[in-house]
Amino acid sequence: MAAARRMIEPAPFYGELFARERARLPGHGRSELERVREEAFARFVALGLPTQKAEVWKYSPIARFANREMVVAEAAVPRLEDVSAWFGGGPATRRLIFANGHLVPALSHVGGLPEGVRVTGLVRAIEEWPEKVAEALAGCDPECSFTQLNTALARSGAWIEIADGVRLDEPLQLLFVHEGGESAAMTHPRILLRLGRGARLHLIETHAGTGDGHCFVNLVCQMALAPEAELTLDRLELGAAGTTLLSRTLVELAAGARIRQTAVALGGGFLRNETEVRLGGRGGEAILNGLCMPRGEEHADTLVRIHHEAEDCHSDQFFKGVVEDRARAVFAGKIIVHRGAQKTNAYQANDNLLLSDRAEVDSKPELEIYADDVKCSHGATCGDLDEGALFYLRARGLPREVAASLLVYAFANEVIERMADERLRALTRRAVLDRVPGGAALEAEGLL
Amino acid sequence: MSSTIETLKEHTTGEYKYGFMTAVDEETTPPGLDEEVIRRISARKEEPEWLTEWRLSAYRRWLSMEEPDWQKVTYPPIDYQAISYFAAPRQKERPKSLDDIDPEIRRTYEKLGIPIREQEILAGVAVDYVFDSVSVATTFKNKLAELGIIFCSISEAVRDHPDLVRKYLGSVVPPGDNFFAALNSAVFSDGSFVYVPKGVRCPMELSTYFRINAAGTGQFERTLIIADEGSYVSYLEGCTAPMRDENQLHAAVVELIALDDAEIKYSTVQNWYPGDKEGKGGIYNFVTKRGICRGRRSKISWTQVETGSAITWKYPSCILQGEDSVGEFYSVALTNNFQQADTGTKMIHIGRRTRSRIVAKGIAAGRSDSTYRGLVRIMPGATGARNHTQCDSLLIGDRCGAHTVPYIEVKNRSAKVEHEATTSKISEDQLFYCRSRGFSEEDAVALVVNGFCREVMEELPMEFAVEARKLLGISLEGSVG
Repeated sequence: MAAARRMIEPAPFYGELFARERARLPGHGRSELERVREEAFARFVALGLPTQKAEVWKYSPIARFANREMVVAEAAVPRLEDVSAWFGGGPATRRLIFANGHLVPALSHVGGLPEGVRVTGLVRAIEEWPEKVAEALAGCDPECSFTQLNTALARSGAWIEIADGVRLDEPLQLLFVHEGGESAAMTHPRILLRLGRGARLHLIETHAGTGDGHCFVNLVCQMALAPEAELTLDRLELGAAGTTLLSRTLVELAAGARIRQTAVALGGGFLRNETEVRLGGRGGEAILNGLCMPRGEEHADTLVRIHHEAEDCHSDQFFKGVVEDRARAVFAGKIIVHRGAQKTNAYQANDNLLLSDRAEVDSKPELEIYADDVKCSHGATCGDLDEGALFYLRARGLPREVAASLLVYAFANEVIERMADERLRALTRRAVLDRVPGGAALEAEGLL
Repeated sequence: MSSTIETLKEHTTGEYKYGFMTAVDEETTPPGLDEEVIRRISARKEEPEWLTEWRLSAYRRWLSMEEPDWQKVTYPPIDYQAISYFAAPRQKERPKSLDDIDPEIRRTYEKLGIPIREQEILAGVAVDYVFDSVSVATTFKNKLAELGIIFCSISEAVRDHPDLVRKYLGSVVPPGDNFFAALNSAVFSDGSFVYVPKGVRCPMELSTYFRINAAGTGQFERTLIIADEGSYVSYLEGCTAPMRDENQLHAAVVELIALDDAEIKYSTVQNWYPGDKEGKGGIYNFVTKRGICRGRRSKISWTQVETGSAITWKYPSCILQGEDSVGEFYSVALTNNFQQADTGTKMIHIGRRTRSRIVAKGIAAGRSDSTYRGLVRIMPGATGARNHTQCDSLLIGDRCGAHTVPYIEVKNRSAKVEHEATTSKISEDQLFYCRSRGFSEEDAVALVVNGFCREVMEELPMEFAVEARKLLGISLEGSVG
């Protein structure tokens, strides 16, 4: 009975929507894909939508957003000048650009990649190797209803595969533009990424929200790294007020594989970023950095799960939040050291600046440990700006607002500087300055 | 230092020492729970009508409630109809003086190392002895009465001080607070009651010693402590139970109320029977403890050393309502063999400039699981509130688990909240250092563990600190090598 209240039944429109949409999905009629989708949808209905009684959704009322009547987003064709502002990387950077979850081939450019690198939209991947796609989707993340919904309804996304030993030096960007419409429109993009033994990739993922309406994005990224592979992932989320973005990243690391992810959430009515990493082989490493700066009525929720399943792995979480107005920042990070994962070294930090009396910070840094020869620790803090530091700056002539903005900027910059891509760092800093009240003055005074 | 080691050595050779059973004629209600049983308990205790109704309404609430399942422990479903809710040594009436106590019961406490008489004369600690469902003796009552301090069993308090009981009972832990609190409110049998009047500093430690003796019963005691303006009291709680293959339920409720400038220090050394090495038997210790700092500048401090029980589910909490009030929680939870402990605290900051400090040390050995679960909540009005939390876990062996589940909720910008936690293995270097100086491996482990817990041990009153150190040694026994 207690379990029942943790999940509620999805609204009836989901059933109608699935019945209507399935014929429009890529690869329709292919039995292996049909079966995976049917099973996933049945699983989604069986699991239901989480309420706040579900522990991982304790602070985030997702059902309020996910259970309102929605339609599937229709394709849109933005102009180049509409999207170029969010370009990361350099001149040789390949990009897949998605508008409302649909790939825009006219703006995307993934040609001329070295041998052993396959980057393509999901539709094309389904055309070319449907069995492989069905296999990757089947049985993925069976306990997460949103992943199941994505599996059932994913209409586009990306297939990225890099062969053993191939290293792609230029970053690859996935750029999503989400346009809010009259009635809330949902999209379910799916990213499937595989890095071969010793392969290396720098991926940039950007989300930009436009328009005043609502949209609901349910993104799932499935990443598998073979031994010694290396993935750098920079993610920037610049949603609009009506953007509800659920992003779930599942990473499996084999022995000696490494991921370094830096995710910055700087806008969006409701942002939920989930990262679940499995360190399945000896010597793996996961470094996750994150920053969120909700303001107004925004809600930014970060969930991290790191599974140390093998010996001798290292993980480090560094997450920060700056919360203004009536906004809310939620952080729930968990390090799980499985039995036998000896010599684990894991650290987790969550620091928050609470800048308004009507804002709220909820932090839940957890450790779950079943091996003894480990070093695991975490720290979490929450407080206002340091009065001493403010005084120091004001004594040197800065108005209070500018001084406060400088301190916030410095606080945020500790995460931003961990982004690997220079252009994305610049974009992010720009967005931070736009968010702090004294940002313009800081720039004008040449204080940065 | 050397005395600590000797004490440890003395106690690392024995198993659970308190596992005997006393053959005493007891009156027990048949197993099962319904309104009739509650009426009977209430009638047996000659309670006023309002309390009977209070119990019944709690029972009706309980019927509609669900047993919590969020805690990180596993146990087979409890059959609440198989428990006998009242067990008392048969005696005509409560003994008038200590000499009238059933010699068997007196011997029980002697065997437990807390002889009723000597304790009164030598130790200078006032003790309320609770045997299964009833309080059998309270010492030093008269001396305390001279200062206006009321220290008696809660049954006596209901009879002699109904206004105080009625005013405060359930005011901190309302009957519908949670599943086990509701059950307790319906069937609570006895427990201690303390009232310290305005401006009085209680000159001695007050103590309750809980003993479960009868089989097939549960213990549901209720403790209520009220510290009036400017008063101070230090209260100790100890507990043991016989070794049995069955699991016995102990679902207590403790409520503390501190008014302006008052201070309550509550210390527990919990040593219920933990079950045997195979995880058979042991007490389910499902307890709700909560204090409210209602007055300005009041303070409530919880110190607990948890070594017993098969399963512990316990979160002694502080509601910091009065301005400048202070809440503290110091805890050592040691689990071995198949024990499971899910324990921690809640600090609810409501008043301005309220402060709280949490120090929790978890030690897991054998195949046990130890979880710290805590909440720090800063309400919008708690301007200038401050919290510091430190949780450390020590793992001994590779088959146990140690977990940390803190919740931090901040709704006031001026509040400063800090949390830190670590988990590590018992240091090889420290063990090697001790071993090279001639310590046996077990002594070395006990020494390191005692050092790890020192911050908490220092908070315990002296008599308890010694006992607690011994217990750590006993509980760790067999965890090395």
